[in-house]
Amino acid sequence: MRKGTRLRLVLRDLGSGFAFGSMAVSGQLPVWSLALYGLALVLALMNTRPFANRVKLTALLLLAVAVTLGTNVLAGSLNLVVAACAFAGLISAQRLLSTPDSATDGQVHLSGLLMVAGGAALSGELIYGLFLIVFGVMASIALALGVVEAAVPEGEPVPVRSVMGPLAKGVTFAVLGAVAFFVLFPRLNWNMIGPTASPGLGVATAGFSNSVRLGGSGTIKDNPRIVLRATLTPDPERDSLNAYWVGRTYDVFDGQEWSNARQTPGPFEFMTTLRPGRDNLIHQRMELMPAYGARTLVALETPSRLGNAFINTQRGSRRTHISEQGGGEVRFRDSGISYTYEAYSLPPGSTGDEVRDLPPEEQDALLSIPAGLDVRVAQTAARVLNGEREPLAAAQKLSAWLQREYKYTLELGGDVADPVADFLFQRKEGHCEHFATALTLMLRTQGMRARLATGFFGGERVTGGYVIRAGDAHAWTHVFVPGQGFVTVDATPPSHRASQSSRLLEQLVSLYEAVESQWRNAVLEYNFRDQMDAVRTVFPRKRHAAKNEEASSRTPPPRAWGAALLAAAAAYVLWRTLSRYLSRERPLEATRFADAVETMLASARVTRADGETLEALDARLGKERHPLAPALAPLTRRYLEARFGGRPMRQGEAQQLLSTLRNAVAKEAQRVASEGKRPPQARAS
Amino acid sequence: MNQPARALSPVPSPANARSAMERIATELGRAVQGKPTQLQLVVTSLVAGGHVLLEDVPGVGKTTLAEALAKACGLSFARIQFTADLMPSDVLGAQVFHAQTATFQFRPGPLFRQLVLADELNRAPPRTQSALLEAMAQGQVSLDGATHALPVPFAVVATQNPVDFSGTYPLPDSQLDRFMVRMSLGHPTPEVEAGLLVTRDGTPPLDAVSTVSGPEELASVRAFAAALRLDASVADYVVRLATATRSHGDLDRGASTRAVLALGAAARANALWDARDFVTPGDVRAVLVPCWSHRVLLRSAVQGVSARDEAAHLLEEIARKVPAPR
Repeated sequence: MRKGTRLRLVLRDLGSGFAFGSMAVSGQLPVWSLALYGLALVLALMNTRPFANRVKLTALLLLAVAVTLGTNVLAGSLNLVVAACAFAGLISAQRLLSTPDSATDGQVHLSGLLMVAGGAALSGELIYGLFLIVFGVMASIALALGVVEAAVPEGEPVPVRSVMGPLAKGVTFAVLGAVAFFVLFPRLNWNMIGPTASPGLGVATAGFSNSVRLGGSGTIKDNPRIVLRATLTPDPERDSLNAYWVGRTYDVFDGQEWSNARQTPGPFEFMTTLRPGRDNLIHQRMELMPAYGARTLVALETPSRLGNAFINTQRGSRRTHISEQGGGEVRFRDSGISYTYEAYSLPPGSTGDEVRDLPPEEQDALLSIPAGLDVRVAQTAARVLNGEREPLAAAQKLSAWLQREYKYTLELGGDVADPVADFLFQRKEGHCEHFATALTLMLRTQGMRARLATGFFGGERVTGGYVIRAGDAHAWTHVFVPGQGFVTVDATPPSHRASQSSRLLEQLVSLYEAVESQWRNAVLEYNFRDQMDAVRTVFPRKRHAAKNEEASSRTPPPRAWGAALLAAAAAYVLWRTLSRYLSRERPLEATRFADAVETMLASARVTRADGETLEALDARLGKERHPLAPALAPLTRRYLEARFGGRPMRQGEAQQLLSTLRNAVAKEAQRVASEGKRPPQARAS
Repeated sequence: MNQPARALSPVPSPANARSAMERIATELGRAVQGKPTQLQLVVTSLVAGGHVLLEDVPGVGKTTLAEALAKACGLSFARIQFTADLMPSDVLGAQVFHAQTATFQFRPGPLFRQLVLADELNRAPPRTQSALLEAMAQGQVSLDGATHALPVPFAVVATQNPVDFSGTYPLPDSQLDRFMVRMSLGHPTPEVEAGLLVTRDGTPPLDAVSTVSGPEELASVRAFAAALRLDASVADYVVRLATATRSHGDLDRGASTRAVLALGAAARANALWDARDFVTPGDVRAVLVPCWSHRVLLRSAVQGVSARDEAAHLLEEIARKVPAPR
């Protein structure tokens, strides 16, 4: 095998692999297709092609697979798009393992394109984009090498070294140009035909449900995925927040599970007011990321108003309604990939709720104790409190005791009959839900109202706001203080409240999510308004600069530099292309007319000799007394006038002249046919 | 049928120009039969303001052609037979002493006619040849410090015998360049010759030719032809043809700039045959060979008919290779 051939095949196979990867990153392909394709790719890269002599047999196998897939789709157990993608992968695998001739090459590249299209249908995420680019580069180089090889005579070495340089340059330029084109032009969301857009790093992790089962979940503390972003006004300007982001509360505990006494949802509105606010509210612009995976709105403790919500789906963004559910939860009406909304919260320490605001059954629920609760819980609470009757002081005393006496762990023992007793008296270790539940119940045994709150704790500073990770999910206690309302008390040891994931992993994920967010904003959801904003960041308006001297003296943000560079590159490319286009000799209108005349004549089997002009052809036909000569003469004369005489054709004149010739050609064809000497030669049109 | 010279219509138009040219060519055809293409070329050259070099064996009607041309166009005519002892003063004229006034007076030679037939030009010594050629190029004659303008229009039809070269002085290449076209009449077809025998009843062929034009009309048509539109692409085509001759392997010397200008002028005149007021590549192509075949120098320095044919052949080949503007 020639030296260049091997390189080309490796590039071709790798390109196909990346095309498959662009589908695989969606996480929706069946495992068996991943395995089969992976095996085929490895074999192909090792240059082992077992299907080379068994094309028909393997094609039959493919057919069988296609039938199976089709049955599954019809039965509803497999999505049509997923099935098609998996099948495209198998076709590509079969081609990879076949004889590497030029036809197979084309089929591999074609199936690569199919797979890339499938990937676009399954997900439009950042990794998909990267795979797409790599596939494009590899496939182009492989194709170009194939062309070079074909041009080199058999037996001679392929000049790979001298080809690769210009080739790489060309491909780089092409990719840069495509990226510039892609970023500069607003577009619709392009992966709208897919079944779902899945988050890039696996399925959603955090969740809110109508009940919390103790010990049922909680292994998410080490998940570093970002579930929400928040921009706060006023900005606390701290690197990390010790803030509670409440999602919902629970008031009824049945011994194992928390739920709510009242679960009647309120009406759907654009704006929901939970409690009256004052003029010192903290404004939050929230963004729930794809990893969030629930429809519950989250806000800083204690939320006052929520609304102005937008839902981002595969078909773009739209305004949506929200509604208050039981447990102070506010939920989106529709589900989407991500959400944005605004929230106003009372500043920490201010009073909000009044118990009289709550309906009687909820007031009762705040004191309810599960029927079979271990008596030791009440005894222990009384012992620890030691006569303390003030709810807040009691809660703090109990919380301090819990933090001192109990250990934090994420190792759970599975379902037990009485998880609270198990935590307090057996294992003596647990996670935030155990601590919060224990504190809440102990307070209730002493006649103090309390409830469980779930949400997130923390907040890590990023550019322009804060991010919350899935591992920041948390549970804590709301203790009711008469005259002050619910006050947050957290029984969990402070070091274990926020995310437990490794620092490095967090940084990596932060980086990935930042790039992904950029990808989403700058590529997938880039629209005309974003374009205008980009222009505005590069060219700030004069009056803004005058008003804000500080801003004008600052260097522009990196985004502006990037946009400027990109715009400059695009302008350069445009200029080069345009200048080349303009300097190129374009066919004149008269020349195009002459071409049309010649095409029409050729349809009547009147062809001009090599290098013969229409003028010469006309003269020749006139001399030969050709039947078409009388019809051609005026056209030729008009062409010459327009081309060399400086009298351009009028609007529609060319068409009119051509129609006369067309008639003449048709008439001539008819005449020839009626004479029956020869079969009709000219198309009658 | 003697017609007075028609005055050109006040608005010169391509149609008027063509009618004048056709009238002349028709009259020429009465004297020289069976050669319409060659006659057209002679008229084209006359309208383009050029001189014609007729290369042919004796007795095919060269002299008749020149005389008929003069008569049809209403031009004054002189025939100069070039011989080995012909002196420049025999052509140009001389200062003659007047005894009465005791002064020298210029007596114009036969060159001072509107149409001059220089018969067997190559028989005269180079000195006499160059006297003629200078007049052709400048349109004037300088003698003893005085400059005498030649009549307008002024055209030379020169002949040379391509077969019998003994005792001749071949025209220098640079002077060949002064002729706009080189052509040969050739023997008439047998039918035409037979017809001549039947119809000619002793009357000289020139009697059949009428004067159908005049110097004013000719000057007017010439001016009109010189102002015809020549598109930039056609000009580019002419230059590309010239470049192709200059770089051709079989040619020692390609077309000169004067040749380029001459081709343009001839093409302009040729356009009038089609009553067009612009030049097409086809016009260029039509006059290319007669206009340039004597201006390019073959590497294999063959003289005579074969050289002429060879040059024409090369030019045809070049014209096929250089793409015409579309």
